[in-house]
Amino acid sequence: MKAKSFQRASSLEEAYKLVKESPRNKIVAGGLWLKKGGADVDTLIDLSLLGLDKIEDKKEYVEVGAMVTQREFEKSELVPKMARDAAKAIMGPAFRDIATIGGSVYGKYGFSDIVTALLGYKVDLVFYPEAVVGLLDYVKKPGFYDGILTHVRIYKEDLKAFFKKVEITALDYPIINVAVTKGKEYRVVVGSRPLVACRCEKADAYLNEGGEDFAKGAEIAVEELKFGDSIATKSEYRKQLALTYVRRGLEEVNK
Amino acid sequence: MLVKFNLNGLDVEYVVKPGEYLLDTLRSHGIKSVKKGCDASSCGVCTVLVDDKPVLSCSLLTAKVEGHRVTTVEAIQEEAGKLSECFSKEGADQCGYCNAAYALMVHALKKENPNPTEQEIRDYMVGNLCRCTGYQSQQKAIKAYLGGKK
Repeated sequence: MKAKSFQRASSLEEAYKLVKESPRNKIVAGGLWLKKGGADVDTLIDLSLLGLDKIEDKKEYVEVGAMVTQREFEKSELVPKMARDAAKAIMGPAFRDIATIGGSVYGKYGFSDIVTALLGYKVDLVFYPEAVVGLLDYVKKPGFYDGILTHVRIYKEDLKAFFKKVEITALDYPIINVAVTKGKEYRVVVGSRPLVACRCEKADAYLNEGGEDFAKGAEIAVEELKFGDSIATKSEYRKQLALTYVRRGLEEVNK
Repeated sequence: MLVKFNLNGLDVEYVVKPGEYLLDTLRSHGIKSVKKGCDASSCGVCTVLVDDKPVLSCSLLTAKVEGHRVTTVEAIQEEAGKLSECFSKEGADQCGYCNAAYALMVHALKKENPNPTEQEIRDYMVGNLCRCTGYQSQQKAIKAYLGGKK
């Protein structure tokens, strides 16, 4: 990656001003994807000095700073277990000590296990300046929000949760990842298709209206999704995996 | 740009490019124990410790270690030597390209979890590839080094 300058922002205001100055100025979260993406950048904007590396209990929700690393996230007892387990299974610790939650969520990468897991919960994203956007809305809307992601709020809910990812080796991108939660409502999420994760809203509706046939719920979920091919596998295989793991997830959260 | 950090107990100041990665900075200053493998966050041979946590130096901008402590295998030679003996006994040494990163990972694991299970060792080392040994011998060596608990 080539960059002309590196700026440690002393405030969110300063960072935002730099972002708005040029589309070639980029926020550095962990910096992993900036390298993989091979971007040429004018100014790298570092948020490390802004105190965004804390996980705090805020009564109704757990607030995760955007600069919290995946390792810190997986180790925090404040974070719901399924989300921690999903983080724990990403690459090795030396990778997860760099990758940040903000980077994973803001980038809404198709392969992201973090986004899939978080969509199983009620999650809001806090942006500077002054905006709170639901994760589901953020993921559904094309493009990226015009602001700096500062915090991820995971609302506290009493729910049962299931997460599964399938990969060729532990260091590959997942072929598919599935999250299923059941609290006051069902949430069925399928990601890495290889498109970014999405909620299976028709399957959710079937289940929330009392549907008890989990195989049928999984079929509805798979029918409403688009699956694609990648170098790792074909869409048909992804579809079969999703069908199996959504059903198993539904069975698991109903035990 | 000038970046100041602590390298193996010594305060250093290096002039680096804004988009330069720690792996390249360290190697250009003579720390050749930090290896360049995939250079794409996947193989783990470039692992160093930053504030005692393992990180992939190929993927961490040097500018981001300003004010932090960076440790390479040169700073843990005694421990690396003992681990190396365990590796030898188990036949876990072949080309040795991955060994420095392994030593740092085991050092970090020992601090974080001095009494790991076999699965915990496996999970911790998952990001460190070795193309010679097939991992079983290393697993045994690490277990022996840590005291063979559980």
